[in-house]
Amino acid sequence: MKPAIQIIGQILRGGISVIVAIMVGGATISFAQESVSVRATLMTGGVPVDDPSAAAWSSAPPATFPMSPQVHWQNRIQEVTVKDVIVRALHDGNQMAVLIEYADPTQDPDDAAALEFMVGDKKAHFAHGQPMLQVEGGPVNIWFWKNKTDKGVDMSAKGFGTLKPQEHQDVKAKGAYSNGTWKVVFSRNLSTGHPEEDVQITPGQFISIAFAVWDGRKDGAGELVEKGSQKAVSSWWYFRADAPPDYSGYMYAAIAAALALGFQFVLIRKLKKGQ
Amino acid sequence: MGALGKPIILMVAMYVFIKFVLPNIPGSAPLPSSLIALYLLLTGSGIVIFQTLSKESKDAFWGPMQRFLTGENLGGLQALRYGVLILFPLLVGWQTYGSTAVSDLPPIESRTIHPAPPGEYTGLSNPVAKTPDNIMQGKGFYAAYCSPCHGGNFDGKGPAARGFVPAPANFADPTTIAMLQESYLFWRIKKGGVGLPIEGTPWKSAMPRWEVELPDEWIWKIIMGEYDGAHQSPRTWE
Repeated sequence: MKPAIQIIGQILRGGISVIVAIMVGGATISFAQESVSVRATLMTGGVPVDDPSAAAWSSAPPATFPMSPQVHWQNRIQEVTVKDVIVRALHDGNQMAVLIEYADPTQDPDDAAALEFMVGDKKAHFAHGQPMLQVEGGPVNIWFWKNKTDKGVDMSAKGFGTLKPQEHQDVKAKGAYSNGTWKVVFSRNLSTGHPEEDVQITPGQFISIAFAVWDGRKDGAGELVEKGSQKAVSSWWYFRADAPPDYSGYMYAAIAAALALGFQFVLIRKLKKGQ
Repeated sequence: MGALGKPIILMVAMYVFIKFVLPNIPGSAPLPSSLIALYLLLTGSGIVIFQTLSKESKDAFWGPMQRFLTGENLGGLQALRYGVLILFPLLVGWQTYGSTAVSDLPPIESRTIHPAPPGEYTGLSNPVAKTPDNIMQGKGFYAAYCSPCHGGNFDGKGPAARGFVPAPANFADPTTIAMLQESYLFWRIKKGGVGLPIEGTPWKSAMPRWEVELPDEWIWKIIMGEYDGAHQSPRTWE
């Protein structure tokens, strides 16, 4: 009988190590993430709303997104300067700031950048909320910055040709250029009093974000190469402001472990009594 | 081997087969974990039913488990027993934590790549004669309007493609235009991304609505040029 029990023991040992390996392996896989979302890290103290070079930015994880020339609508463009943007975000539960960083060989007065958000529950086309033919779309909220003025403009659009600054200007922006790199910080309160035109940011919830960049260089004839709809754009990606830490998972885990322990105790007691 | 050894080996063998052998059989695919769990559950139930058919097999099946759990005459395995009794509640706690923790992953958005076209576009045939001249013209239009995204090699890798998700279609891939009719392409080119139904996630597509810029005849010629350039043929009804 002893050899049989030893074999069972060996099998059980093997089985347990396999289960543990699967669980550990599975856990690692679920932590792996591609750059599909911008995560606004929750911080205490002042969010660097007008400082693109603040030390606090190093605590925000960077996410990189590829850019394309805007081709969806005329006037389109077939080549753009900026190929990628690196995006970081921070918030303190009240204010949020988004830092967009990209390579641009020259600093020009017409250099500009923008963030775009879907507003409300309806999906909006990434090209300024262009009307869709079979789906009722919603508006977009655009936060625009230009080097010349170095300030943020809070705008709304629902289709090309409808872009206009809002009555309530809630967005701030500030750019800093050095070593061929633009860093532009956009900031706003997480929520505003105008949910029909402004994106509302609820910590813990994923929302849609897109980016646009204009290199303000001029061609030989002195004309701007990238202007208006001739710009670098990204697809829709996700944005989420971190929710405050939630420890309830540990409590549920402790309750479940205690129940399992109790179950074992009762089971073994019954087995012993039965024998 | 004992009545408990065989079932354990059977379960492990079943898992190894479903997880690692089955996906490698030609024409098969990896099974989702929920289906694997279901198969293992069925296997386990079958074993329990089989083992408890007679009193002897039932005792032989449960006996070792009971002895292990109660710890009677276990000898050197006592330490392992304590290990299992401690590990089991910990695993339950871990699983519970994993299932209640808030996911860091964004919501999954499913997308139908080739949604059904509106009725008026089904069965249309290309009205332009398939002559070398027309095909060449179509390729010229393709180079001017389509190649920036769909690529000079019809592979979806044009210079403007990199930032777009979904990526521009690769016409050389046999699962794109080769399995579609010309009328389907006519619809997609004419109405563009914004013309897709909701299951096609139109809000993400960069495809222009070419009907506002190009006459129908050009679109039909472009379709001819695309098939010819990508070395594909349109799907037909026969």
